Amino acid sequence: MSITVEVTYDMSKALGVRSFAVDGVRTVQDVVRMTRDRFGPERGDAFETLTRVAAVSVNGVLINHRDGLRTALADGDTVTFLKAAAGG
Amino acid sequence: MIKGYAGRILEVDLASRTFAFRPLDEDIARLYIGGKGYATRLLYDMTRPRIDPLGPDNPLLFATGPLNGSVAPQSNRFAVVCKSPLTGGIGNAACGGSFAYGMKRGGIDILILTHQSPKPVRLDIDGDRGTVACIDADDLWGKGTYATQAALDAKKYHAVIGPAGENLVRYAGIVSDERIAGRTGVGAVMGSKRLKAISVNGSRKLDMDDPEKFKEYTKWLRELFRDHPVLGSSLKRFGTAGIVNTTNARNIIPTHNFKYGHFKDAMSLSGEYMEEHELVGVKSSCIHCPVTCGRDVMVEGVGRVKGPEYETIGLMGSNLEIPDLKKVAEWSYLADDLGMDTISLGSVLAFTMELQERGMLYAGLHFGDAAGVSDVIKDIAHRRGLGSDLAEGVKRMSEKYGGQEFAIHVKGLELSAYDPRGSFAQGVEYATTNRGGCHIQGASMYLESTGPLTINPQNLKLKAELPIVQQNLACAINSMVLCMFTTYGIIPKAVHNLNPNSIVHRLLTTAFENSGPLFRTVMSIKGRPLLWFEKWLTYITGETFSSGHLQEIGARIFNLERMYNLREGFTGKDDTLPPRILHESTFKHMSSGHPLDQLLPRYYQKRGWDADGVPTRRTLERLRVKV
Repeated sequence: MSITVEVTYDMSKALGVRSFAVDGVRTVQDVVRMTRDRFGPERGDAFETLTRVAAVSVNGVLINHRDGLRTALADGDTVTFLKAAAGG
Repeated sequence: MIKGYAGRILEVDLASRTFAFRPLDEDIARLYIGGKGYATRLLYDMTRPRIDPLGPDNPLLFATGPLNGSVAPQSNRFAVVCKSPLTGGIGNAACGGSFAYGMKRGGIDILILTHQSPKPVRLDIDGDRGTVACIDADDLWGKGTYATQAALDAKKYHAVIGPAGENLVRYAGIVSDERIAGRTGVGAVMGSKRLKAISVNGSRKLDMDDPEKFKEYTKWLRELFRDHPVLGSSLKRFGTAGIVNTTNARNIIPTHNFKYGHFKDAMSLSGEYMEEHELVGVKSSCIHCPVTCGRDVMVEGVGRVKGPEYETIGLMGSNLEIPDLKKVAEWSYLADDLGMDTISLGSVLAFTMELQERGMLYAGLHFGDAAGVSDVIKDIAHRRGLGSDLAEGVKRMSEKYGGQEFAIHVKGLELSAYDPRGSFAQGVEYATTNRGGCHIQGASMYLESTGPLTINPQNLKLKAELPIVQQNLACAINSMVLCMFTTYGIIPKAVHNLNPNSIVHRLLTTAFENSGPLFRTVMSIKGRPLLWFEKWLTYITGETFSSGHLQEIGARIFNLERMYNLREGFTGKDDTLPPRILHESTFKHMSSGHPLDQLLPRYYQKRGWDADGVPTRRTLERLRVKV
């Protein structure tokens, strides 16, 4: 099962990537863990810091409106880490 | 006279070149505040049904409110009201810049322009002397809005039109400094009067009921705003374009004429990208506003200009699938200089591209391709060739060329850059807002999709109630006249600082979306002023304003607008969304589009309207709406 992970601007700059694919995950928690493993050692606390202020969506829907980190994923889903609020 | 008002209405007859000052009606001011509310009352009373919006019988009203002329943050805006040549219903638009300040300095609350001049003219108003000069403007006719303003007296404050207004483009706007009263074609009405520019000044100061309290409170509030995550940080750093990545991640940024809600290259259009690659300063903000959401960028061959706003980026960037911020900035500048609304313009371009894609029209425009766009924008403003059809707006184009199923408008007004399939309350707001599909007449999306504390945007909870409260509040805000961004300050810094994935955050949003009747009840309490705009109004006017007062006044204005539209032939059937929005899905878990049919009856009932969407006599009497 392949999941696309997207990160928005500040995270993208810090992590050096806009999007990437992860395989073998079942929930958003798995994606967070795998992403942390992927970037943690190389980029210090950047991912930890960013995920404390970034909201997470699955296919455009915030996980807080679904099952939080336990939100189940299906093949082809997109998980996005986004800035929680902006004025526009 | 109630404090905060200049106490004067100026009426200018452009056919006879005569003018008269008359006193502001205090009773109307108490019922409608000023700005959009007061002007809508005048429009309703001054006009008979079914007038030609581009004919001599359509008056054009510029209206300030009691907060204009003060140093309250975000308070120098004016409203323009008339019958819309784009929708055929109520037309209005609000604008920042500095013209409102000039009007109040000139001692004018409302400026009414009637009939039409036989040839191009401009008005020069000296508020202190009480004189109005009607000056031939052949030398300015044809000039862009920037060149026009540069040619006028630098000591005065101006509102001008560009070639789009002159050529009656149905979504032409009126420009003050680098801001535009863009929506519903108010610039075309000014053009129909052959009025190129209005200049005004004077030396009057705002007379307040309690200037000391106002000063002390405003000083404190400026500090609060400076420290606010949106007003003092996000908007200050990224402008409104700071929202691009959020709407993209939430699948509501218009893409490919609203076929999709996600654009793969949106990051290249974001405020963050603009800050890093294009930003050269922040001069282009409204007078006395500490938020400074304007972004200055460089446009090749022009120089330093106001950068594109979120709406412009959404409609002319992602919606056309063109991830080129330089190009969008160039088109934004062109549209401002020619005097056109970029929301309608972007939607017209996207609709044209889809017609082309389907082989229904040859316009030489293609999604993802910037070639030809600049020329078409100029052709629209000058109504050259096919540009003349595009100048009519999406609704009329779809009637001529077909494609009504993907014509993205409500009541003839093109939708803003928030796809309601991921923001259900915003969809109800689009469907029911009297001027048509616009976000700034309520901005429910801020509490659904873009703010720090968003309810689930895709269930039915609160989706009928929230638009009502927001529309009422927006009517009041647009009558003071304040910037809607002031409401972003209501959510305090502490909430912004919550982890958005935390249980506390989840509990708060769940409680909010389940608050239904309680929410409306709390908002309707008439007590003491709590929020800043309630306090400002109270300190300035000497009358008491609380949330309940503003909800009642806002509902009165909203219902009067509704009655105007009904008088002009609109019915409940016009409270709808584009077929694409209702029937096509943009979310993986949805099989259809926006569930408007499940929400509209509840909305009508909560509004006190009958099943056909007509306000009941009881509702009108309760709100004291005379029709």
